[in-house]
Amino acid sequence: MASFSSVLRRVYLTLYNWTVFVGWFQVLYLALKTLKESGHEHVYDAVERPLLLTQSAAVLEILHGLVGLVRSPITATLPQIGSRLYVAWGILWSFPETRSHILVSSLVISWSITEIIRYSFFGTKEALGSAPSFLMWLRYSTFLLLYPIGISSEVGLIYVGLPYIKESEKYCIRMPNKWNFSFDYFYFAILVLGFYVPGSPHMYTYMLGQRKKALAKSKEE
Amino acid sequence: MKVVVVTRSGRELIKGGLELDDSATVADLQEAIHRRTRKYYPSRQRLTLSLQPGSKEKPTVLHYRKSLKEYCCGNSDNLTVVFKDLGPQVSYRTLFFFEYLGPLLIYPIFYYLPVYQYFGYKGERVVHPVQTYATYYWCFHYFKRIMETFFVHRFSHATSPLSNVFRNCAYYWTFGAYVAYYVNHPFYTPVCDLQMKIGFGFGLLCQISNFYCHILLRNLRRPDGNGGYQIPCGFLFNIVTCANYTTEIYQWLGFNIATQTVAGYVFLVVAASIMTNWALAKHRRLRRLFDGKDGRPKYPRRWVILPPFL
Repeated sequence: MASFSSVLRRVYLTLYNWTVFVGWFQVLYLALKTLKESGHEHVYDAVERPLLLTQSAAVLEILHGLVGLVRSPITATLPQIGSRLYVAWGILWSFPETRSHILVSSLVISWSITEIIRYSFFGTKEALGSAPSFLMWLRYSTFLLLYPIGISSEVGLIYVGLPYIKESEKYCIRMPNKWNFSFDYFYFAILVLGFYVPGSPHMYTYMLGQRKKALAKSKEE
Repeated sequence: MKVVVVTRSGRELIKGGLELDDSATVADLQEAIHRRTRKYYPSRQRLTLSLQPGSKEKPTVLHYRKSLKEYCCGNSDNLTVVFKDLGPQVSYRTLFFFEYLGPLLIYPIFYYLPVYQYFGYKGERVVHPVQTYATYYWCFHYFKRIMETFFVHRFSHATSPLSNVFRNCAYYWTFGAYVAYYVNHPFYTPVCDLQMKIGFGFGLLCQISNFYCHILLRNLRRPDGNGGYQIPCGFLFNIVTCANYTTEIYQWLGFNIATQTVAGYVFLVVAASIMTNWALAKHRRLRRLFDGKDGRPKYPRRWVILPPFL
């Protein structure tokens, strides 16, 4: 029974990782194609559907961590996936004015390269039991450059969106109401920006630690 | 006897070790370390027995009341202890005083002072009776907590790390401001009179019950804060392990029934989840301790914290 469940787990995770890999590959292909043919203003329109779909599929990663399918701690996955979903849905999808910005291109490209490497690494690892060393190196080295680009793009796009958020009053709840509750999306966006201050170094140092551990382990083998 | 004090990295904290009487206790050793280092007062020290390298066991923590002889191997006169600096410490009374002082002072600011004009509300503010009662209720609660800290509670641990002061104050003070902002808001919508009376009535009953629970817990401990673990009994403790937390949670529920704000319910949920973790740990500890073996009493079947749910 235990072996059957572990086989089932491996099959599921292999399928999950490769499906999401295909999604991100499509995002990268469409982004680069559009960037070359029509310029950065049209990148978002070209990648919107696969981007939102594959980025939303990452919610399952949080569930995988919660139910113990994978070992990655929720403290590492939740802020990363949460911030990405916020930028994808809460900024780009919600405020069309931000979509034509140059930062969308850098965001989409850095996200997709990171995820193509990551999902192919985990997909190979689940399918074959181990991943080739070059993939291991890419998985734990490309973030050194791609994380700062991605995070800067995320922060930049939230900042670009602030005037539109304030002006539109979208997602705002005002008092008076029965439950005596108010919510201002503009201040929420500022709060999210504030979380990037401690969050980014935390994520980066966490990944550096993971890199050190993983590459040391691969050297031993 | 000779005691060698080393840090966790293996470096000798006090060169040449310490010479102590054969009858010396751990407390005497801590005092001796304090005399030699000045910086590390006893409550800042954690002393453990040294473990074999690579050992996965938890180190034995030296209890300040015990004799050092009890920790020596065989009839050896030498002892090596591992020292850990716990960082700056404050008394629990200081910690609780400052964390409760915040909400006690912050909440009335929102009620009495014209703070909302700085948030862009220019008109005249109509104060509803429920807002007045909520202020009295809130202030009574935190005043009660401060009084209990000084005159009721007996602490098993004398001190807490200084960092906890900042963490706990951030929690209480932020939530104090968050709840106060909405309950005293100029656009606040009050509940019906009956709901308000039920909420505050139930809440007040729970506050009095909470005070009585604290009296019962106080009587389980000796005046010096020791006395080990005992099975709490009497009043609500006959049905709930942590009746003090139960009454605490339900009195905030009463407050929220009367005031009906999302902020208040958020505070309730966060506080309840924190207390539930503590209660589960205490329940497990009491059940493990009072297992009914070797003449020990068996811990009775009880709710943990939230009857009829948990």
